[in-house]
Amino acid sequence: MAEKGILDGVRVLTLEQVHALPWGTGFLADLGADVIRVESPDHLQDRKSGPFPAGTPGEEWWNEAGNLVYYGTRNKRSLCMDVTNPRGKEVFLKLVEKADIVTDNFRPGTMQRFGFDHDSLSAINPRIITLSGTAYGYTGPWRRAGSRARTVDAACGLSYLTGYEGGPSMRASPNYMDHSVGNNVAYALLLALYQRNKTGKGMRVDLTMLETGVSSVGPAILEAQRGITRDRLGCAHWWKAPHNVYPARGDDRWIVIVVSSDTEWESLKGAMGRPQWAEGAKFGTVLARWHNRHELDELIGNWTSQHDDLELAGRLQELGIAAGSAMTAQDLVDDSHLRERGYMWEFSNPQAPAVGSRLFAGRPFRDPGNPMSIAKVAGLGQDNAAILADLAGLSPAEIGELESEGVVFGAPRPDEPRP
Amino acid sequence: MPGILSELRVLELTHRPSGAFCAKLLADQAADTIKVEPPGWGDQARHEPPFIDEVPHPDRGTSYLAFNTNKRGITLDVEQAEGRELFERLAATADIILESYPPGRLAELGLGYEQLSQSNPGLILVSITYFGQDGPYASYQGDDLVAQAMGGYLYAVTGSASQPPMGTALEQMEITAARNGAVAVMAALLRREQSGKGTHIDVSTMEAAVSTPSGLIHPYTYTGRNPHRGGSDGNVMDGMHLPTLDGEVTLTTAGTGGRPMQAWAEFLEEPGLLDSKFASRGGRMEHWEELHGLVAPKLAQWTNLDLMRETMARGLVVGLVQTPQQVVESPHLEERGFFVEMDHASAGLLKYPGSGFFIDGENAMASARPAPRLGEHNVEILCGELGLTVRDLGLLRAARVI
Repeated sequence: MAEKGILDGVRVLTLEQVHALPWGTGFLADLGADVIRVESPDHLQDRKSGPFPAGTPGEEWWNEAGNLVYYGTRNKRSLCMDVTNPRGKEVFLKLVEKADIVTDNFRPGTMQRFGFDHDSLSAINPRIITLSGTAYGYTGPWRRAGSRARTVDAACGLSYLTGYEGGPSMRASPNYMDHSVGNNVAYALLLALYQRNKTGKGMRVDLTMLETGVSSVGPAILEAQRGITRDRLGCAHWWKAPHNVYPARGDDRWIVIVVSSDTEWESLKGAMGRPQWAEGAKFGTVLARWHNRHELDELIGNWTSQHDDLELAGRLQELGIAAGSAMTAQDLVDDSHLRERGYMWEFSNPQAPAVGSRLFAGRPFRDPGNPMSIAKVAGLGQDNAAILADLAGLSPAEIGELESEGVVFGAPRPDEPRP
Repeated sequence: MPGILSELRVLELTHRPSGAFCAKLLADQAADTIKVEPPGWGDQARHEPPFIDEVPHPDRGTSYLAFNTNKRGITLDVEQAEGRELFERLAATADIILESYPPGRLAELGLGYEQLSQSNPGLILVSITYFGQDGPYASYQGDDLVAQAMGGYLYAVTGSASQPPMGTALEQMEITAARNGAVAVMAALLRREQSGKGTHIDVSTMEAAVSTPSGLIHPYTYTGRNPHRGGSDGNVMDGMHLPTLDGEVTLTTAGTGGRPMQAWAEFLEEPGLLDSKFASRGGRMEHWEELHGLVAPKLAQWTNLDLMRETMARGLVVGLVQTPQQVVESPHLEERGFFVEMDHASAGLLKYPGSGFFIDGENAMASARPAPRLGEHNVEILCGELGLTVRDLGLLRAARVI
């Protein structure tokens, strides 16, 4: 947890896996909440999912992965405990007494089976806020179905509308919806805390991936009700032309150029050296450019392919034209703008010395009142002892018992297969 | 219960979907949100196709309608002294102001954070722009596609490996920037409850694109390889779209207890899937055309809704590739009460998406109002609250201030 963040004093217990929910609770951790990630010794997929340094899992592979471990445990504490064991359950319920928020991303029914449903927890702690982040929600005919971000991408309508011009539908992203849902989780939890400050009462949040997805494609939802169909346009646009991605000099280098007005078109013509083809009626107006955009795109592409994308984008921007290189990860790491803004976060995890110092994506907003940084990336079960002693009130002997009886774990079981 | 943000006032002075959607997220939780638009033309989104009933009309742009629910609307030219003065008076009553001017422009007008927070120290000002308030690109021009490109998303995420980069539809970088902005606002509100102090938040759409979690940066910093688009190419079991009787579906290997091909062979009644060459992910990619030849004809016998029901019963995880029409008609969303019907004076009766979460079973959108018509609340706010007479309004109108 960050030092004295805005959420100092807020405690979150989270039974979470994969992307969406850990991404959401990660905001709270970055803002200073004590987010305790309760990890199951029987489900270590996140810690196996890599990437590993130079592609190879090391001696302590469970603390070394870069993706779900870094984003899922950053600034959190880890308690590796089997909550299906009666003694684990007992400890979990003790922690609930001292928690503000309990979140999970099990399918509906699982929390109830554990005895951790909202009503049971609320009976222990009436101020508790619970949030279940599920595929389809706690009600409705699809409530028992699971999802992945890409299946939500499909089910919400986004995949259907995404595709190359004239081509088939295509998923927008393997994980964009995890990101959207995680953002919505953070928003909902902060709203709930704000509300509880007024009323003193806890509440139950039923947050779904599908509905977050649909709420992200509102215009298409309205259009569908009046029979308006959206064609797939790739990088082209409903009314702007040129508006596309064009080849640049070099292997797999690309530049985006967007022109919204005649003035910008004149500037672009100037940048191109006023070629003969660009003069005249064929491309002279907004309408003409849009209707002749395929030919226009090809001609612009012939020009851009002779130029370095980063250099050309900078030159076009100086002329007031919206342009940008299709940056690779390496471009972003080297990018002077992001560096100057301090966007990337560098971290060397003492729990995973094999990893060394690495750069990670930071947060896309700055607030001088709520500064954020990385204080830790939690190792598996790193905080067992502190949590069990300070919050559950267990003695060292009792903690030792839980360890020897296979209720809490500081490392994977000896027979756990390596990734 | 009254909405969570019902005691708060938000002013929205933005120009792109990121600002409008961020303000909508707050408005949908009952913040009194006033959209401030330039006189005459209004928000550019009013004029961008497609339009409800196709014919261009400033109240019927679908992006405008979708992203401006629950707001009141006034017109005000803050570039003119009179308009600026009225805006200052409103700003004194605001908890949150969202803006998207080029960095520094509001301060030039006398409406920057330093100036506005003097009389209103609790003010939370949110600047939501493509590249943020400082750095070498701060004055650059952008749009959603430019943000996808410069945020690394375009190169790495959507599209096919063998083809040029391809964008995600429906301006999702704008949406993501807006969602980040709403999180930042809530954090600032919680801080203000303790300290009484406001703040100036700087949201960057380019950075929102970079921040997609499994995206970009750490795969490179861990392995030295640039993530590259094309993850669904030839990926029959985990990414491609496959035709059904009445649509398309995408499969997953999830929910199969680590034995995906056995589970799917059984479900599709296709023993060919048990061939050892399909046992590993690598094998499935290598022999994807053959695998496709086995799977596709079987799936083509299913309707989408039957397939969803039967896979769900067996714990398999699929995604129906739904058209927006199918989403609107979804029996699941209907039963959940997700959509909220609103009657707009010009666009008519339409169902709008809810917020994605229910608190204690309640849909916060339930008592929603549709997007305002241009200047719809000028009288209510400028006369009712700021004390102008209707005659004053006429003068300001003639001078193009409102």
